[in-house]
Amino acid sequence: MKKVLISSVVAGLLAISATAADTYGPFPVTVKGYEGKKENSVAYTGQIARQTLEKSLKKLATQGNGAANPELKAKMLAYYAGKDAGRAIIDPTTKGEFKIKQTKVDEISKGKNLKGKTYKGLINGFPGQMTGPEMVEFLIEKASASKGGYDPLTGYKYEQLISKFLMGGVAYSQAVDNYLDEKLEANKNPNNKAYKAGKHYTGKEHVWDEAFGYFGIPAHALTLTPKQVVAIAKKKDFKAADYNKDGIVDLKSEMTFGPAYYAAGFDAKSGTKYMTTITQAFIDGRKLITSAKGEKLTDSQRAQLKEYANVIKTNWEKVLAEAAFKYAGSVYKDLNVIKAIVDGASGDIRKAFKTYAKHWGEMKGFLMALQTGGKDLGATGVKLNRLSGFGPVLVTGGQVTGIDKDGNFEIGGDMTMERYMVEMVKLQKVLADEFALEAKQKDMTKKLASIIKTMGEAGHAEND
Amino acid sequence: MIETYIQPFLNEWLEFFTSPQKRVYWLYMLTALFIGFTYLLYTKKSANIAFSKLFSKDNWWSKTAKADYKVLFLNSIIMLFVPKLLTKSVVAFGLFYTLTDWIPKNAMFQGIFEDWVVATLFTATLFIVDDFAKYWIHRWLHTIPFLWPYHRVHHSATALNFFTIFRTHPVEGVLFSIRTALAQGFVLGVFFFLFAEQVTLLMLLGANVFFFAFNILGSNLRHSPVAMPYPKWLERYLMSPAQHHIHHSKAVEHKDKNFGIVFSCWDRWFGGFCHSQANIELDYGVGNNLADKEHTLKKLYLSPFSDSYKLLKRTLKRKS
Repeated sequence: MKKVLISSVVAGLLAISATAADTYGPFPVTVKGYEGKKENSVAYTGQIARQTLEKSLKKLATQGNGAANPELKAKMLAYYAGKDAGRAIIDPTTKGEFKIKQTKVDEISKGKNLKGKTYKGLINGFPGQMTGPEMVEFLIEKASASKGGYDPLTGYKYEQLISKFLMGGVAYSQAVDNYLDEKLEANKNPNNKAYKAGKHYTGKEHVWDEAFGYFGIPAHALTLTPKQVVAIAKKKDFKAADYNKDGIVDLKSEMTFGPAYYAAGFDAKSGTKYMTTITQAFIDGRKLITSAKGEKLTDSQRAQLKEYANVIKTNWEKVLAEAAFKYAGSVYKDLNVIKAIVDGASGDIRKAFKTYAKHWGEMKGFLMALQTGGKDLGATGVKLNRLSGFGPVLVTGGQVTGIDKDGNFEIGGDMTMERYMVEMVKLQKVLADEFALEAKQKDMTKKLASIIKTMGEAGHAEND
Repeated sequence: MIETYIQPFLNEWLEFFTSPQKRVYWLYMLTALFIGFTYLLYTKKSANIAFSKLFSKDNWWSKTAKADYKVLFLNSIIMLFVPKLLTKSVVAFGLFYTLTDWIPKNAMFQGIFEDWVVATLFTATLFIVDDFAKYWIHRWLHTIPFLWPYHRVHHSATALNFFTIFRTHPVEGVLFSIRTALAQGFVLGVFFFLFAEQVTLLMLLGANVFFFAFNILGSNLRHSPVAMPYPKWLERYLMSPAQHHIHHSKAVEHKDKNFGIVFSCWDRWFGGFCHSQANIELDYGVGNNLADKEHTLKKLYLSPFSDSYKLLKRTLKRKS
């Protein structure tokens, strides 16, 4: 009897632990009076479609041959501004055993584009006084005419600038400044009505789902380690991705995209909890909405929902800041390498400069992304923009300072590599202080902190 | 409660004897005893006499010694509750960022010297600057009237043993921690600004090599029954245990002598130098004190506050 009892308790515990990790859905249909056949109210295909548009656009940005290329430009614009049917998913695509279900954007969602969802404010970190969509289209034109997305004269790597900016300018901006913001108010997308007539999800359910879709995390991420979530983005862990075991990765729910990739990356390497915290808050929020069973959310329910939203916003913002911090560290290290080559060390300066340009583009993209969340960063934003400048410092000094009337970049200023390295040190400090960063990868002052740690701060009252 | 207070307290106690960053690390004490015994054997020519002098009850288990132990114990609790006013981290980072504001040329010396040169330079500078700061604070504790009552606690020991270094008033403890933060933070900030990643602390068993050397070579004899001198030429640079015994002497002619800790040149350059003297018996303690009264906890912990206040008032009155 005792044995039976123990074994049943153990079995029970195992069952609990096996189901302990939450997944984002399926959640039941709660819309009152819904007569259709759908049983799962979760839907964020439009957001996933945009994730694939962003990744595809990044790929296209590296396909220029160095001369003006109207065809490529048109294709890129089709992925950015167009809504045409038939657009192929250029990335992510099947790679070896990592088989992907969808090959066309329409298979995920029809008629979607990125432009309509791009942050419409002024982009202060980039020359030309452009709005988000204007800047992206300007960058698309430049990228299409560049060789492989790279302009050695300015140090711009367009595919990085475009993709990293869009990670904020579309995904982060839409999620934190729209869906998790005004759309949580009582008078917007109420929970006692279908999102649109005939839909199988309520207004609030869908609003929340859409924000989740922009984060780009597999719905089953909490059953995985951050390392696995990263590996899925790199198409290196099919098993981890294929949650329903149907032998194919469904981009709609099983893939890792941009923002989530970075969150998981920091968690995997630095032991932070960005991915799990954000994902859990999304799941908890969705459960709360579902628990209202198609009734209007009460004020206290919405207050609770806003708390989850705040957790998501804060951590998402930190992820973008962590990424900018990390790349500022890379830029510093790259400049050290370039400086050494200039001073006579062996090495290929062109190659070194290209690596530096790539890291700079990533850093700049994230810095601009960080400023699209609808929150006034005030003096912090000014510092981020001024310290990073409009362009990477060039080997001979100077950097992009503006754009002339013909749309060409102007280079000038008295910035030197040495001074720019100091700017990177300061930039990291601003990011770490203002956003309370935890991972701080490639921290330029890490050595100092580690020496102090070895020495210890403790001092007993010891006399002489 | 246990995790916040008891655990760190117990850890700190264990660390006293097991961490080479502490002055009473077991190996440092062992080598000090060995050096002290060898010296006594050499001068007294008798192992018995050497042994009884080294382990004399007066030094290790008298009223004054017991007071040392009590203060050590109580301070380790008190210091847990004393907030850190300044840390070397704050000073080092603050200075580093200030320097980058002033001179927009980070790591300008990085790569000019070999790594080992920078490491040696940094480790030595840290040790020397720290010692220099100690000299000044120590000197001020003796010469600034309202500070003296706190330092007097240390000097009220009438016999010296290895643990007399911990006979320290908590106010002094706070001053010392600020001193360490400033001196070490300064060196850390400047070096990191100049050499960045090249900055490395040379260590032996987890302690600064120079600190290790100073301690393994018998630093604990400074507070011990053994007033061991160094050759005259060496005493001009390094403070011998006997020179520090003079610092603790009650004699008028020894007043305000030998403030230095590791290096004695500070005293030669800035005042206070005195060689050790052969064959003299020193009387330790302060003024014409009634020794017994000096070792009560009330006297050790509370009197300095009222004494310091009185002296401060007197000084201010004289000035106005």
